[in-house]
Amino acid sequence: MQNSWRCSRLEMARSDILDAKMSYKDQQIAEAAVVLEARFATLETKADILKAPELKALYEQIRTLPDEQRASFGQEVNALRQELQAKIDAASAVQEVLPPLDITAPMDVNAQIPELLPTDQGTTHPLTQEIAAIVDIFGRMGFVTEESREIDDQYHMFESLNFPKGHPARDDYDTFMTVETDADGEPFIAPAHTSTMQNRTLVKYRENLSKGDAIAAIVPDRVFRNEDLDARHEHTFYQVEGIYVAKGVHAGMLIATLQEFLQEYYGQKLEVRVNPFYFPFTEPSFEFALSCPFCDKKGCNVCSYEGWIELLGCGMIHPNVLRAADIDPTEYTGFAFGCGIDRLVMMKTGIEDVRHFESAKLDFLEQF
Amino acid sequence: MKVSLNIVKQYTKVDLSVDELVSKLNQQLGGVEQVTDLADKYKDAVIVRVLSAVKHDNADKLSVCIVDDGGAVADVSRDQAGHVQVVCGAPNVRADMFAVWLPPKSTVPASYEDKEPFVLDVREIRGVLSNGMLAAADELAIGTDHEGIIEIDPSEWRPYTTELKPGASFAAAYGLDDTIIDIENKMFTHRPDCFGQLGVAREISAILKGLPADSNDVDTRFTNPDWYWVKPAFEPGKGLELKVFNDVPDRTPRFMAVAMQAVAVGSSPLWLRCALVALGSKPINNVVDITNYVMLMTAQPTHAYDYDKLRGAALGVRMAKSGEECSLLNGKSYVLTEDDIVIVDGEGIIGLGGVMGGGNSEISAETKNVVFECATFDMYTVRKTSMRHGIFTDAVTRFNKGQSRLQNDRILAWLMTFAGQLSHAEQASAVFDLPGNTGQLDDVSLSGEIPISADFINARLGSKLEQWQIGGLLRRTNFASYPSDDKSMLLVTAPFWRTDIELPEDIVEEVGRLYGFDKLPRELPMRSIKPAAQNPSVVLKQRIRHSLSRAGANEVLTYSFVHENVLRRAGQDPADAYRLGNALSPDLQYYRLTLIPSLLGQVHGNVKAGHDSFALFEIGKGHTKDQLDDAGLPKEFECVASVITDKRKTGAAYYQAKRFVEELLREFGLRASVTYEPFVLDAMTKKAAYFAPGRTASIIVDGERIGRVGEFTPTVRQNFKLPDYSAGFELSLTKLLKLQRPHGYVPLSRFPHVTQDISIKLPGEVSYGDVYQLAQRTLATTLQPDTTAHIVPFAIYQPPEGAARTISLRIEVTHTDRTLTEAEVTGYLEGIAAAAAEAYPVPADV
Repeated sequence: MQNSWRCSRLEMARSDILDAKMSYKDQQIAEAAVVLEARFATLETKADILKAPELKALYEQIRTLPDEQRASFGQEVNALRQELQAKIDAASAVQEVLPPLDITAPMDVNAQIPELLPTDQGTTHPLTQEIAAIVDIFGRMGFVTEESREIDDQYHMFESLNFPKGHPARDDYDTFMTVETDADGEPFIAPAHTSTMQNRTLVKYRENLSKGDAIAAIVPDRVFRNEDLDARHEHTFYQVEGIYVAKGVHAGMLIATLQEFLQEYYGQKLEVRVNPFYFPFTEPSFEFALSCPFCDKKGCNVCSYEGWIELLGCGMIHPNVLRAADIDPTEYTGFAFGCGIDRLVMMKTGIEDVRHFESAKLDFLEQF
Repeated sequence: MKVSLNIVKQYTKVDLSVDELVSKLNQQLGGVEQVTDLADKYKDAVIVRVLSAVKHDNADKLSVCIVDDGGAVADVSRDQAGHVQVVCGAPNVRADMFAVWLPPKSTVPASYEDKEPFVLDVREIRGVLSNGMLAAADELAIGTDHEGIIEIDPSEWRPYTTELKPGASFAAAYGLDDTIIDIENKMFTHRPDCFGQLGVAREISAILKGLPADSNDVDTRFTNPDWYWVKPAFEPGKGLELKVFNDVPDRTPRFMAVAMQAVAVGSSPLWLRCALVALGSKPINNVVDITNYVMLMTAQPTHAYDYDKLRGAALGVRMAKSGEECSLLNGKSYVLTEDDIVIVDGEGIIGLGGVMGGGNSEISAETKNVVFECATFDMYTVRKTSMRHGIFTDAVTRFNKGQSRLQNDRILAWLMTFAGQLSHAEQASAVFDLPGNTGQLDDVSLSGEIPISADFINARLGSKLEQWQIGGLLRRTNFASYPSDDKSMLLVTAPFWRTDIELPEDIVEEVGRLYGFDKLPRELPMRSIKPAAQNPSVVLKQRIRHSLSRAGANEVLTYSFVHENVLRRAGQDPADAYRLGNALSPDLQYYRLTLIPSLLGQVHGNVKAGHDSFALFEIGKGHTKDQLDDAGLPKEFECVASVITDKRKTGAAYYQAKRFVEELLREFGLRASVTYEPFVLDAMTKKAAYFAPGRTASIIVDGERIGRVGEFTPTVRQNFKLPDYSAGFELSLTKLLKLQRPHGYVPLSRFPHVTQDISIKLPGEVSYGDVYQLAQRTLATTLQPDTTAHIVPFAIYQPPEGAARTISLRIEVTHTDRTLTEAEVTGYLEGIAAAAAEAYPVPADV
């Protein structure tokens, strides 16, 4: 180690400036200098000294003086201002220089090794807790877990999912785009669904099919929609995408699989239903609803007194999506679904405002 | 998409309640967003016959009228003949006319949605009692006209059969006793035909039918009106010269136009105005209204031009030239690009194709001759033009879904018939029909014949439908289906308006939806008992969460995007970060470079909320511009970052953060392999400029830099209002994943270890690490076989004056087979002392 554990010489030099005193001929300016120097020491934001009313008053006074006095008075006021500026610069420069530490040591000199914080203070995030629960349930059902990206290209967001360029359904996703562009000159995007991983996952596990196994994967991760925030809308949230491809997979299996998952997640028997919907990457497409787990379909504020909760979008994977991953859609079929995780968790735990999740408020986090 | 139940009922029987219908629509067509009961708004409006209208004695402009309501309204004062007196200010009120009466206690429909709706009463007007009022179009919210009251012509054709007599309900007579069902537009992204009433009526007809019974010939087909179903034959037509051209056949699959002369522009018949209003449109005049009505009915937008305003008597379509300007009906001007389709006359632009017409060819009261256009434009081009210029119209909503080019002739024929009936227009030119280069216009279907087997459908739905049942379901929405010669396949042809049927899978969807997805058998897929592989990255993150939360830290999630100020305050350069071009919120300007600044931003708020001592950590990703991965995508730097702070403590927070790092490394078997090097701020590390040099270390494992731990610069501390005792760390997950290893295990000895402490006085510049390594090296060479030693840091002492430090280590020595003597251990310690004295001699003066 070359450094010593003491104040540097540089710092000493700067403290000289701080302690320096200047003398002013004009009595009024000299008095103001004393007052301002005293106040400088007490100020938290040192730059505020330049906004002091005393200094302002001196400047205003210049105009009122007779010509013969004006020049010398003005010069002294300026000198005072420069002195104060030098003090501000010196003060911030001193702050920049901290004595170096022995970074290899486990503790400071003359001190104990610091303790970790009390274990009972530590928490994990409610969303990551629930994602772990989801990964666990699907893991037991035979699904592997994949992770998504935070910045991706339009091919994975749209093209590989059967949204050609200019497709009107692209508008439904309120996708954040970067100013920077990829090799094709297209802006990068912040994934608006974890379906961006469908193509990659199908390709990665394609070999499963020839071995007679299924492609079974979920992708729980962060997604983004360019929306204004309120208690029910976040621009950043979490979604779990699911994919299942094998021989003879049909729409009834999709419904049954999701029903099993939700029953396990909520720990009770639930009714489910599907309504037709439209997504370019599934055919047929569904909107999937479950009977409200909190009121036994009688109606409560969780389900807006409907008895049913519209939870997720799903469908049979479009043959073009399978083809884009070099899977023969005449031989293999599959289903996919995408479910918002924040909402699942909010319903399960009664969290009233989706914005709490990304707020990093300890008062919130400590409850989980 | 607003659907009028009354219009639907003109095309198909609906014999269930609105609630039941909505539930059926949800299950088999698409999500219903809203149901509006229009009937209540108009429930009190009554048709009356004006028996007499006499000038008011005390007012020039008022008439005192006696009206006959057939005695339909209760609780109103009547004369001996049972008629009612109403004072009316309209100039067109006269005896023997039919008018709309709003009786006392009724709400004026135009104020129905107001916070305080206007309720009528019996009022004395200049000494004469008036019971309610006779209504003008604006009061009924079916127009802006307030020049006179609505005059009803009982002889005029209406689509409804209610008899027009005094006392009849105005709403029932004109279809305003309606229910408007609003279905999410999203549902119909692939179904342009469902942006018309007719298309939705067809769907409703189809889903209300039960599963075909045992007979194949049960005809559950939807009956389309002839004007849509039957291909029209056009007359040659003459009288006006018209040139029509299509210069962009690749983007305009069909362009049809016809001129009509002797048009009498005026207001539309009452039924048409009411129908437009019910569907949320605005009546304008009989020419524009029919184009709108035709669009609302069929989803095909059409446009009417004033023939005499078309320069050179020409109408055509071409691409705009870059920089060309046009002004549209909305009164705004636009600078166009080469990717915008424009409608032109002989001299210049008169409209933006598929988006909006221009102001220079608008239909006005003076219009004598018109040109109707019925075109199909490329959906992608229309969408881009609409987005580029920020123009969103009903035409865009329909064109950007891609209308069928096979329906234009039928729709133009219907439009011409309408124009003849409503405005007495006569065909004055040939009907121009210019194809694009996408195919024949005489095809009966865009899909052609698609062979599909029942097995193919059943395999994807899980259903057990027979071929004849599938055919029966498809016929409901006017698909043609015939068994192939060998009966193994069904040959299916979609009707001409369906643009969404391309693949056999599209037919699977149609069958499933009409059959009912909820009837599908629910069975889980079968699989082998082979375990699903764990994802090492997911496991790693879970272990980090457990380790750090066990150490008392709190996991947080913060946004991946930050404001420029957050980057600047942390000493980072926004130019290094990916920038969002379209964020609604100003807080989301850049992808974050690293996680630490986000965490720093969350410290002050928590301190203010009363938390004195805490550690926040987050697992997430950072991105730096121009660093790409193998796939050409921005490289994602996954890491775990933490900020530790204590408002009450003073001293070097660095060591606290380091304690957390070591705890985390212990979890991954790396505790013994880690070393620390001074952090150097350079071009490579500048995104970590928030760390204070001299008080920050690079964390090294097996020669690889895996992260940093340190205190923050005073500027950063000030910028984020951090307590003085604050420090943090960031570790690369990629590196951690690669370097992690099982915990090193040393077999337990049956014999106790012997512990001795050693204090070594050292010159100021010797680091703890130097001494520790020296002690380890020395022990490695001096330890006897079967002996192990463990070094524990004990104390670092430095007197207030003087640079020399005394580092004390505790050495625990164990032998596998016997109890060591104190003397043996002392020997080892002396070895260390000697080695230190030689390597790091302390000058005499310190």
